[in-house]
Amino acid sequence: MKILVCIKQVPDMESKFKIDGNGTWYDTNDLAWRMNEYDEYGVEQAVQLKEQMGDSDLTVLCIGSAQVKETMKKALAMGCDRGAHIEDDAADSHDPFEIGSIIAEYARDKEFDVIFTGMQSQDRGSGQVGILVAEMLDIPGVSTVVDFSYDDGTINVKRELEGGIKALVKLNTPALFTCQLGINTPRYPTLPNIMKAKRKELLTIPSSDLLKVACVQETSAIFFPEKKGGGLVLEGDSGDVADQLIEILKDKTAVLA
Amino acid sequence: MKFELTEEQNLIRDMVRSFAETELAPSTQSRDEEEHFDRELMFDKLAELGLTGIIFPEEYDGAGADYISYAIALEELSRVCASTGVTLAAHLSLAANPIYLFGTEEQKQKYLIPLALGEKMGAFGLTEPSAGSDAGSTKMSAVRDGDEWILNGTKIFISNGGEAEVYVVFARTDKEAEKHHGISGFIVEKDTPGFSFGNKEKKMGIRSSPTRELVFENCRIPAENILGNEGQGFKIAMETLDGGRIAVASQAVGIAQGALDEAVKYAKERKQFDTCITRFQGVQFQLADMATQINAARFLVYNAAYRASAGLSYSLESAMAKLMASETAMKVTTQAVQILGGYGYTREFPVERMMRDAKITEIYMGTSEIQRVVIGSTLIK
Repeated sequence: MKILVCIKQVPDMESKFKIDGNGTWYDTNDLAWRMNEYDEYGVEQAVQLKEQMGDSDLTVLCIGSAQVKETMKKALAMGCDRGAHIEDDAADSHDPFEIGSIIAEYARDKEFDVIFTGMQSQDRGSGQVGILVAEMLDIPGVSTVVDFSYDDGTINVKRELEGGIKALVKLNTPALFTCQLGINTPRYPTLPNIMKAKRKELLTIPSSDLLKVACVQETSAIFFPEKKGGGLVLEGDSGDVADQLIEILKDKTAVLA
Repeated sequence: MKFELTEEQNLIRDMVRSFAETELAPSTQSRDEEEHFDRELMFDKLAELGLTGIIFPEEYDGAGADYISYAIALEELSRVCASTGVTLAAHLSLAANPIYLFGTEEQKQKYLIPLALGEKMGAFGLTEPSAGSDAGSTKMSAVRDGDEWILNGTKIFISNGGEAEVYVVFARTDKEAEKHHGISGFIVEKDTPGFSFGNKEKKMGIRSSPTRELVFENCRIPAENILGNEGQGFKIAMETLDGGRIAVASQAVGIAQGALDEAVKYAKERKQFDTCITRFQGVQFQLADMATQINAARFLVYNAAYRASAGLSYSLESAMAKLMASETAMKVTTQAVQILGGYGYTREFPVERMMRDAKITEIYMGTSEIQRVVIGSTLIK
């Protein structure tokens, strides 16, 4: 089985963010970088599938400057077999359509049976890339997957919908899945695997070889929200307030899901 | 000269930090309170991560990483739980490492591999009631009887004592020889008849790490369990301690960093006189001194670790690193308690534990005074 997992390097979300000079992205200087959380779920699921299949080949793909190779090494140390680094020093300037098309172009002739991505990135958060790749490759794409199982060519997944509702989806390979929190607990890369990761193949491909479309959306500005004081004040008698709170927790969070 | 960690070293730091914060942190305080050693958490999980054999070559089932990686791992563990730090340090630096450095191929196959894999835990017995800093005064005896050695005596303050399966201990094999030349090293397995353990010590700090007395009463071990040559024991013990000092220095840096992190977090939230206390230069200066001292200690550790991995002499550098790091840990944790004030003195906050944990780093693996002796005697050689 051939498996692809796509990851992105994002800043540590504990960082203190500043808007860059153009006002269209955050300042990338002096930040600590790590693997996008949702992509870690993708890597873990891909490695679990690889381990289940035995005879399989798992590629991790990442787009960005040479700096992203450190995050790719983590994926290799978690169990990916090889890396495809799509080198692009201006990856942040590409919109999801361009990023999706770069990945699709890379994957087009490689006959991957299963592709995993994160549900969204923690920085841009468009949630579009995985689904666009599936569409561009003309394969089924299932988003927000919280449970995944493979048995003899058939994949059963559970999706998370709004309001705590789940959906079961059954499909065949090839297919793409975007991974959501809850699907698994990513493993720690072990010391021996960290040391072995440097011996794994890590190919670098210039993004100009794969980028054949133009951007279709432009971010005109990013900014911090205006500070509002006080949060949300619920009013009414205690029963009403409790009902309102339960509705909010159900709708906006996973604590009552 | 490049002051930059490698990709592997960064990955190891991230991995161990994530493990320590996620898995160790929730129980650090309660394990300290209850003096509870949780072997599954504090050792078996380290084995799963490949930490128990981090510096040994792959042919002995180690990870093949360098000493700087080991120092980083110990710092990150100790930043959250100094007891877990010493569990790994005693196992790896003091038990597995002398077997790696001085053991026969048979001993490496039999003992080093299971130690590196973490299938077995190691401990080291040198200190005796009347032989602490003066290790040459070792009284425990080993007498050859046919194909066996008969051990008699006691070892005290043994980290991992009672829990470990493999013990590297030192005993006098030649009463006539000059003090330092009559000592030999031995490998003793737990459950050997005549080998038992005293009560667990009740300690000021590193309370979730077990410390016990080892008691040998006509304990017979196979002749082939001698480590290195007969009479080489003092040299083996001293070289083992050189490596162990890098480990304790790393532990001390971790404890200090943990205390600084807590102090910064608290200071950013604490308001007095209608303002955040970080606006007071008095507090800023304390934090600045703490951070500067920690970084200085860390670079001394990295220097000693680099030399150990490069095959250069590192006895002087590891003594300097251990001296500086342990005294920094004591100073920084005491300052952290001061910054947290009354809260810092309570067990609701971790800095009082860190201050208690820091003290041992000035004592074990050679006291600060012994480190000064090592450094001073090298200077005037």
